[in-house]
Amino acid sequence: MQRRTALKQLFFIAGGIVLFPSCWGRANKASIALRKLHINAEQENLLAEIVESIIPETDSPGGRTLHLHLFVLKMIDDCHSEEDQQVFVQGLKDWDQEMNDTVGKSFLLASSDQRQSYLMDIEKDKAHPLSGFFMMTKRRAIQGYLNSAYVMKNKLIYELVPGRYNGYAKV
Amino acid sequence: MANINIDSIKERTFDAIVIGSGISGGWAAKEFCEKGLRTLVLERGRDVKHVKDYPTTNMYPYEFEHRLEMPYEDKQKNPIANRCYAYREDSAHFFVKDDEHPYIQEKEFDWIRGYQVGGKSLLWARQVQRWSDFDFEGPARDGFAVDWPIRYRDLAPWYDHVERFIGVAGNRDGVAELPDGDFLPAYPLNAVENHFKRVVASKYDNRHVISARCAHLSQPAPIHLEQGRVQCQNRVLCQRGCPFGGYFSSNASTLPWAEKTGNMTLRPFSVVESIIYDEQKGKAVGVRVIDTNTKEAIDFYSRVIFVNASALNSNLILLNSISNRFANGLGNDNGLLGKYIAFHSYTAVITGEYDGELAYRTDGRNPAGGGYIPRFRNVYRQETDFLRGWAATFNASRNPSTDTSGVGVSLKNRLLHSKLGNWRVGSHMMAETIPKESNKVWLDTAKKDQWGVPLLHIDVAYDDNDWKIRADYFEQMTAMFEAAGFQNVKTRNDDRRPGNDIHEMGGARMGHDPKTSLLNKWNQLHSCENVFVTDGACMTSTATQNPSLTYMALTARAVDYAFTLMKKGVL
Repeated sequence: MQRRTALKQLFFIAGGIVLFPSCWGRANKASIALRKLHINAEQENLLAEIVESIIPETDSPGGRTLHLHLFVLKMIDDCHSEEDQQVFVQGLKDWDQEMNDTVGKSFLLASSDQRQSYLMDIEKDKAHPLSGFFMMTKRRAIQGYLNSAYVMKNKLIYELVPGRYNGYAKV
Repeated sequence: MANINIDSIKERTFDAIVIGSGISGGWAAKEFCEKGLRTLVLERGRDVKHVKDYPTTNMYPYEFEHRLEMPYEDKQKNPIANRCYAYREDSAHFFVKDDEHPYIQEKEFDWIRGYQVGGKSLLWARQVQRWSDFDFEGPARDGFAVDWPIRYRDLAPWYDHVERFIGVAGNRDGVAELPDGDFLPAYPLNAVENHFKRVVASKYDNRHVISARCAHLSQPAPIHLEQGRVQCQNRVLCQRGCPFGGYFSSNASTLPWAEKTGNMTLRPFSVVESIIYDEQKGKAVGVRVIDTNTKEAIDFYSRVIFVNASALNSNLILLNSISNRFANGLGNDNGLLGKYIAFHSYTAVITGEYDGELAYRTDGRNPAGGGYIPRFRNVYRQETDFLRGWAATFNASRNPSTDTSGVGVSLKNRLLHSKLGNWRVGSHMMAETIPKESNKVWLDTAKKDQWGVPLLHIDVAYDDNDWKIRADYFEQMTAMFEAAGFQNVKTRNDDRRPGNDIHEMGGARMGHDPKTSLLNKWNQLHSCENVFVTDGACMTSTATQNPSLTYMALTARAVDYAFTLMKKGVL
């Protein structure tokens, strides 16, 4: 058990997969190894807060506990074009300035309600300067959540071996 | 020295050589080995042992780094493979990567390949339908290609033979254009598929919606248990390789069966460069292999050679087998080798919704995929302005639809408590294409791959007949969908390239006449009788059926014939 605990501290389990940490002890870098994206620790923290606001902790774990922000980073890093990646990184950079301009507060200092309504404003406005960043982040966060080990084992059970098919199952 | 050489040649001499270990090569191996012949099976790729070499087979979605999505870089690097529906993070290791195995596209053509023991039999869609005489008689009746030298009665016992061994789930539907076989219990249609079946049966005389026939063990028979295969567990993760052997593949079935006889030598990492023709003996004596690890050329010898390298690669090997007697490729006296390539047109999709049968949903997964509509156009007589016609899939599903709008607690609740919506229905077209001389492959005279084998040019395209068939599919299926009360019916052009259907056929077609065909009715090269071609390359026309079952039946039949000739000393 001790070994397992130690392993947990060495790696990040994002939803279910192991993500390798970035260089040990280097200050102000993202906590997982990224190939293309340049993200610092503050930006990573901001992303974690945004993702937590999208999928919050309730009586069940939310974005931060499930490391969904790391999953978002991993997917943007590996599965998106350079243009997407630029939009993403720029969005993360501009986020607080934008929010300050409209709400008068940074995201981290904003209340839960302020955060929610700000996110809803972006979602409703396709022309919002942060729309591209937000929709990409949201889509990946939802994907990571629904495909997380937690949800697939506890909430929407994924059956690897159904062993049956019924075309007339009663609703 | 001389003795060592003789021993070495002896070690490299077999009764039969089978080029390729995919769905037809596996059958050639099984049949030869069962008859007691020492058989060398050559595979250009690596070995894939049943279960042991299915690394992703028991993985949960969250165990995949990108949740089954292919990374952006891979999509950029391998656009051809990425256009295949089955190429994902769980199966990518069974597909050829574009840049490792180049070919030359005269016109856009997606050549999807699986270079490993078992070939694409690990990845296939497992749909198996027999041809009928409406298909075999097509070219002669409608005046295209050449007449098939065989009819249904020639192949029927071999369809039986193959179906019993591989296991086919299906109903005896009594539809003349899709002959019944030796079936395991079918996977029944669901509530809405049955609704559609009833509507179609009541509105149309000769149109049928049946349970798709698939090579899955719905209820294994002793012959399947003997292969070490057990009942399909409805995982529908087939492209990863199945630890239950629930669907048929060479790896789960024919190859281990052949192995058990002690007569099979399986040699992976062996690219066949050419078939060796002996001018004095007037026949082929063996094959030249390039070992992909050492790049060394090694010759192997045998009395008969079966070419099962996959349709276009079989063409390539024959074209590259040059001798004084055959300057243009083995058996190619008429110059038609590599020509009359055809495929299936999968260029149409139709979708809709249905708000009936809402008391039901589905539970578990259906490995057959749903329903199948056999070709009903131009079956008994020519009735349209296009030749031949189309078959189609039909399926209905009712999965919870997830509302992803909003953020926060309400979003989380919606994600976890999604509601059942209407049924969704869909169909895709599987149309026959007409073989034409202008659809062809040939070898480049200068460019070679890393093993010194010339690159293949592929020049294959759709034609007007294909677009007329598509228009008919849209018109007829829309009418059928609307008759069934489906709403929001939408047709969609599926702009896939030829080849993406993964049913490439022809190039060494069968026929009566050596002047107009390459192979006789036993799949023997007319002019080199100890070489047989029994994969997709042999096909004279394409029909609408998924072709693998027919390749397997043709292979078993040809091996039986070759064995008879060997016993007589003719071969």
